[in-house]
Amino acid sequence: MDNVTEQRPTTTTWTEPGERATTVTRRRLPRLKPGTLAGIGFVAPLAVYLGAFYAYPLYENVSMSLHRFTRATYVTGDAPYAGSGVYREVLDSAQFWPTVVQTLTFVVVSLVFQYTIGLALAVFFERSFRLSAVLRGLFLVPWLLPIIVSATTWQWMMDADSGVINRLIGVFGVDPVWWLNSDNSLWAVIIANIWLGIPFNLVILYSGLQNIPTELYEAASIDGASRWRQFRHITFPLLKPVTAVTLLLGFVYTLKVVDIIWIMTTGTGKSQTLATWAYSMAFGKGSSAVIKYSEASVVGSILLLVALVMGFVYLAVQRRQEV
Amino acid sequence: MKMMGTRRWALAAVAVIAAGGLAACGGSDSDGTDQSSGGDALTTVTYWDPYPQYEDGSDWADYVAACAPDGMTLKRTAIPNGDILNELTTAVKEDNAPDVVLLDNPAVPDAAVSGLLATADDAGIDTEGPDANLAGPGTVDGTTYGVPIGANTLGLYYNDDILKQAGVDPASVTSWDGLDAALEKVTAAGAKGITFSGISGEEGTFQFLPWFWGAGADLEDPGSDAAVEAGQLLSDWIGKGYAPKSAITDNQSASWDLFLTGDYAFAENGSWFAKAASELDFKAVMIPIPSKDGGPAPVPTGGEFAVAPVHQDNAAAHYDAAQQVITCLVGQGNQVTTDDQLGYFAANGDERQQQIDSDPIWAPWADAITSAEGRTTDLGPDYTATSGAVSEAEQAALNAAGDADAVRKAFEQAAQQVG
Repeated sequence: MDNVTEQRPTTTTWTEPGERATTVTRRRLPRLKPGTLAGIGFVAPLAVYLGAFYAYPLYENVSMSLHRFTRATYVTGDAPYAGSGVYREVLDSAQFWPTVVQTLTFVVVSLVFQYTIGLALAVFFERSFRLSAVLRGLFLVPWLLPIIVSATTWQWMMDADSGVINRLIGVFGVDPVWWLNSDNSLWAVIIANIWLGIPFNLVILYSGLQNIPTELYEAASIDGASRWRQFRHITFPLLKPVTAVTLLLGFVYTLKVVDIIWIMTTGTGKSQTLATWAYSMAFGKGSSAVIKYSEASVVGSILLLVALVMGFVYLAVQRRQEV
Repeated sequence: MKMMGTRRWALAAVAVIAAGGLAACGGSDSDGTDQSSGGDALTTVTYWDPYPQYEDGSDWADYVAACAPDGMTLKRTAIPNGDILNELTTAVKEDNAPDVVLLDNPAVPDAAVSGLLATADDAGIDTEGPDANLAGPGTVDGTTYGVPIGANTLGLYYNDDILKQAGVDPASVTSWDGLDAALEKVTAAGAKGITFSGISGEEGTFQFLPWFWGAGADLEDPGSDAAVEAGQLLSDWIGKGYAPKSAITDNQSASWDLFLTGDYAFAENGSWFAKAASELDFKAVMIPIPSKDGGPAPVPTGGEFAVAPVHQDNAAAHYDAAQQVITCLVGQGNQVTTDDQLGYFAANGDERQQQIDSDPIWAPWADAITSAEGRTTDLGPDYTATSGAVSEAEQAALNAAGDADAVRKAFEQAAQQVG
């Protein structure tokens, strides 16, 4: 009842001009500027979305890594608190450091080649020639193909007994390579992943090149700078901001790659990365038959942390460039 | 000021409510089960199976739909075999599990001890009928949780054309030595040797067990000399080029596809391909997988169990519906119809005999299925961990391509891992 009587005057005075109210607001309570509350209202859905789909899962992930979950306790929800126990187990396990090294190799080698080849192609396509647009379009194919298709195709091509790659290198007298063998599998998935990442680098770097004023090149060529010097002193420095974005996004994307590795090798042998390890433990697949929710959450948290650090590195780089 | 504030708050509230409403919609969508009734009678019985190859409108889907109890409709969801246990775990946690699940037999003990399954007593499932060796995985610590809907197992197919050309008598393939001699002959004659699935995970272990058990090894001790011998046998096949190197990543369908090329003399694969094998361009014949010293090796049973997941709310109604559907699928007299649909053997000996008598392609499998062993019979829920360790050891052995030291180390590691 009280509420109703309170609200009634409000509704009746809704038609009054807002001018006076705003001036009063501004003077007494500077925080409640007109639009602030409406602003909150419009931000609320986003806040709720972020809370429900980012903050809450993140909280659950961290919480899961601090408790000892099994399939049974996952259902009942009363997993015992383990503190940093699970973290210590994961960090001390014989698999941890080799997996970290493999992950770093996978990410760094992939990025170096993706970026270098992507940049070379971007520069190449910058000199528009006949059919260059068509060719550039064709280079996007790896990006557009479903990964199940491209990864399976790579698996076939890398087949040790009848794969096309071994046939090809056989022509040059090289002995067939057992690509997906546990010792070579890391390099096999890196090769496939480089191929997969080139289009992304090509597209972003190409659009970055479009933003470099052509006058600079004209001036440089009048001064007699060779194409290589133009590249070193104009293209590359002016491309730095784009390079930073490309490498950061590439790093995060590559760090979390599961699909192509999983389809080609199920993360066996040296092709196990932190991401595939977490996947196999979280779902009880591949090398981890028993489901290990908590251990998977630990690895997941580590991956998040690394990605977060890279985010800050990017922000720092960006700030330095703006100054 | 107050009025404006109220108005703005109202706007804000509307926005929040709208967002909340969206979230609520999402929640009820993902529910997917019939919980709206809340009362006594269910109108929908929900059912999961691991056969995504049978789409809606397929014979199998129609067949299952016809098993809906009176006054209910059956909602079937097909989930890939590797995902069904995890999906079930989440569903039970949210108390919106399906009424009936067909669960791969080695997953049953794991599901049972994790508290996902109602006991057969609680759900009123009739467990009489199936042969003891096939019903084994359904019983954990003396409590029975479900019934096999049927069974399948592994055998050794051979390509008769290749064996004839190479002058190999299939009757000689009754021991590992006999098999190795045959492989040597066929590869010397220009054909390829044998395909099998050595993929990481349960599927690879399933295919490895006939060799593992056939050497006299025991899952209680995956590091034994016998286990190493089994690993060495397969490792040598890779090393000598009898088996394709892709065995480390081939699943059973992929290794079957290799056999279908007609290049390979032998293939270790399942009874579910028996029908397909009878319709090939070349003559494919099945023989039992040989054990090391001669005679058929023990083979693992494959196939799913019909189980009723745990329910909290309105449990009695869910269990009653489950029991009716399960009776319709596997009850006396219905089994053979169900199993013919799937290409499985009936789990009950008498019904299976009728099935075998009616179609000659099943005849060579009769002994194998009768003597097949449950994978989880010895270890119960601990099988999952041991299977993972054995799979890893097998992977390492195959990768070693014959290197005896590496093979031994791989199985010793597996034994340590299981501890």
